[in-house]
Amino acid sequence: MCGIVGYIGFRSAASVIVEGLQKLEYRGYDSFGVATNNPRIDVYKCEGKISEKAQAAQRLHGSIGVGHTRWATHGVPSDRNAHPHLDCTGRIAVVHNGIIENYAALTRELEERGHRFRSETDTEVVAHLIEEYYRGDLVAAVRQAIARLKGSYALLVTAEGHEEIVAARDSSPLVLGIGDQELFAASDVTPLLGYTERVVYLEDGDLATLDREGWHVYRADTPVRREIEHVSWDVETVRKGGFRHYMLKEIFEQPKVFYDTLHGITPESLPERYRRPSEITVVACGSSYHAGLVFKYLCESTCRIPVRAELGSEFKYFTPPLKGIVMVITQSGETADTLAALKKAKAYNCPTLAITNVLGSSVTRIADHTLYMRAGPEISVAATKSFVAQLAVLMQLVNLMSPKNDFAESLERANSAIEEVLLQDISRAVEICRPAQHLFYVGRGLFYPIALEGALKMKEISYIHAEGYAAGELKHGPFALLSEETPVVALCSPGDTYSIMLSNIKEMKARNAPIIGIGARGDRELIDIVDVFIPIPECHELVQMISTSVLLQLLAYQTAVALDRDVDQPRNLAKSVTVE
Amino acid sequence: MQAVILAAGEGTRLRPLTLSRPKALVPVANTPILKYVIDALLANGIREIIVVVGYRKEHVIRYLNESNLPVRVVYQENQLGTAHALRCAEPYLQDRFLLLAGDNYIDAASIARIMNERNAILVTDHPSPTNFGVVIEREGLVREIREKPTTPDSRIVSTGVYALDRSFFKYAVGPEVPHAIQAMIRDGGRVVPVQAVDWQDAINPWDLLELNSKLLGRIDAQRAGTISRSSKLYGLIRIGKGSEIGPNTYIHGPVVIGEACTIGPNCVIMPNTSIGSRVTIEPLSYVAHSLVMDDVVIGSHSRVIDAVVGEGCRLADHTATWTAESVFEREKEGFQKASFGAVLGDRVCSAPFTILKNCIIGNNASIQAGNSTVTGVIPDDAVVI
Repeated sequence: MCGIVGYIGFRSAASVIVEGLQKLEYRGYDSFGVATNNPRIDVYKCEGKISEKAQAAQRLHGSIGVGHTRWATHGVPSDRNAHPHLDCTGRIAVVHNGIIENYAALTRELEERGHRFRSETDTEVVAHLIEEYYRGDLVAAVRQAIARLKGSYALLVTAEGHEEIVAARDSSPLVLGIGDQELFAASDVTPLLGYTERVVYLEDGDLATLDREGWHVYRADTPVRREIEHVSWDVETVRKGGFRHYMLKEIFEQPKVFYDTLHGITPESLPERYRRPSEITVVACGSSYHAGLVFKYLCESTCRIPVRAELGSEFKYFTPPLKGIVMVITQSGETADTLAALKKAKAYNCPTLAITNVLGSSVTRIADHTLYMRAGPEISVAATKSFVAQLAVLMQLVNLMSPKNDFAESLERANSAIEEVLLQDISRAVEICRPAQHLFYVGRGLFYPIALEGALKMKEISYIHAEGYAAGELKHGPFALLSEETPVVALCSPGDTYSIMLSNIKEMKARNAPIIGIGARGDRELIDIVDVFIPIPECHELVQMISTSVLLQLLAYQTAVALDRDVDQPRNLAKSVTVE
Repeated sequence: MQAVILAAGEGTRLRPLTLSRPKALVPVANTPILKYVIDALLANGIREIIVVVGYRKEHVIRYLNESNLPVRVVYQENQLGTAHALRCAEPYLQDRFLLLAGDNYIDAASIARIMNERNAILVTDHPSPTNFGVVIEREGLVREIREKPTTPDSRIVSTGVYALDRSFFKYAVGPEVPHAIQAMIRDGGRVVPVQAVDWQDAINPWDLLELNSKLLGRIDAQRAGTISRSSKLYGLIRIGKGSEIGPNTYIHGPVVIGEACTIGPNCVIMPNTSIGSRVTIEPLSYVAHSLVMDDVVIGSHSRVIDAVVGEGCRLADHTATWTAESVFEREKEGFQKASFGAVLGDRVCSAPFTILKNCIIGNNASIQAGNSTVTGVIPDDAVVI
């Protein structure tokens, strides 16, 4: 997903566009760019966040311009790949949201005709195509160019010597804003709000012109009427797309995220030299560290490769392994402690592997090789979909290192299991957690890291003191804290740990602790001993683990909502921790 | 022009298919019913669309987001009737607006006919009016709406699509819209009946098959994915990205197949079949006149005809449906005679050699006894041994 903005009017176009792009950052934020028409085309584009580099872009002159904020899916984020893209002469600037499916064929054709391409994007072909058809009439050239495109697009085009912006859409969103002596075009209404409430939604196949005289919409070359509508939305409502919180939006995206990430990792994703390391050291912070712990359990039992899992902030006190690889996990790719650990590993000459959600982030430039999650931008501070995406990457990694395993096929159906979890009514469990001062999360084996992650979610957004423990460790101290006022969330799925978990639960029950039991649907034995039972689908242990994790996110979310907490922006916390 | 689409109700009559989605999200020809309603509005240039969500609202919102549809979402926290749902949208309504049900199919031409009226009801002739609000009209005006009468005086029924304005809120104080219309008429209000061009409701789950067949006739052809050269495809067919059609597979449209499906080798897909995304149909199976939702696995040597197969069902090899007719007792609907193969809720599992004879199987039910014939109604979460 990307975002685009265009402006023609009396203000500084660059300022309006940069501000608009910031509002579209939820659609992507790995690189951005602006082109103004004054009447020469001036371009500023770079990788990185708009908030950090806004000033340079705002220096562009002119009252006509187009801009773009990118979330790279193909072609790394770099200054070169950032939009706007220009034709050979530098006179035509194009921004694009969508995917041009036939760009490879078009590129070949245009290269044969002498066009020179500068980027690896699909968008640049549009600029050259317009140049190819340009005979002094920009609208006609755009019309001829889009007739050649296959795929989805929302396009904004401006060219030297033309006081206008040409817009076109097919299968990607584009809306015009009608102001007083000024016109806007954008991926959604957020950049317009504050300037105008009058908007025109373009339809698939529409081509629109915005100039000093006004705006016109065409289909092929016939002018058509489009109604002006009034919007009275606020920015946050649009960006959350109807959900109350980003966190809930992101929780509900997880079935798709898991599926897409799983399929995004192919045998080609992992070079041969990472397939049989003698040992692996995983370094990460927060939720990513918990994903790393899951990997440790899974990799050691499946691949028989020893795995160390270390916290990023502690790794500097350890010696990196002399042989074997160092793998870092970070959603943002900017976590300071994780980056420091990675640099240290490089200094010790360890081969390094990174797992991240953000193409082109710092970690990808330092690590020898990077694997990507396909979670899309995560806005909520509490990690949800990125955690599940990390699990998907790590499980595929184990699958690639040890193709003879029993879970690969089960993972194909995990999205369906997550969907099922999203339907659960957990209100009774929320009622138990809401008034609690302290909560315990316990699990064994693979479910131990999930207990840690569940407790982390609970404390960060509900502010209830929650602790995750390996169930067997309770007896070594924390048992002293158990009473009727310390509810316990017990993860008790069928598998190796099932029977010992059952007896642990009975022991905790004997100390009067209220128990929320999470186990396989229809598990009579568990239902009988716990206070509240929440079923998860009966399937492979790994899928049960993912399902449990999603369930614990919902439990934390609903508890925080019940306590009226600021779910998306919990106190004292930041999304990406860029200081040590 | 504004429009309010009511998508907050569950649609209980469509159970077991409404456990994980409201009726508005039930896919027909691989597209939720709600999408047809929105498209009909958009085709008429109606852009200010408000969707009232309630039951499983996160799923509706997620769908709207994924499809990039420019609508505003309004919550109805408790499902207290259609007029209450409309009142939830009241703060956003300016003057005239259309009111529509998100779970009935409606075409763009019908919207064009009613959108310029001030107070109007879209009506249609229906062979079994007792399931609907029967509209009594005289001298070109609506005189009365009778909700589900046992002995109807007319075959003209309300489609649940209205053209109204803000003055309607004076009457919309009770739970249901038809009562409010009734009150408005009593108060001397003029309400015009407008004949619908094409409108269809699926009342019972098996009715989806008819709606599916109808809407499959209107899909856009597409051949994405990988299609074996030795497969044979005839007629109107839409195959989504990443789907694989194996060798010697025969597909006769109208058929729609979603994304990332694996079908064949040696399968037969006959007309009026829709297959969701990520569906696997194993070798030597035959599917006809059926609605198969996402993430379904149909085992090899199976025969699925006249069936609605819910999301995530896993049918083992040699599963067969058997079309027959019997009488079902439906909640609120009483006894209904129906002929179909099978209606399976979400995530139903069947053991090898199961025969599903004119049965309705609840969500998450598991038919563990192999080589058996299942008939009648099996409740949610049941285990059949």
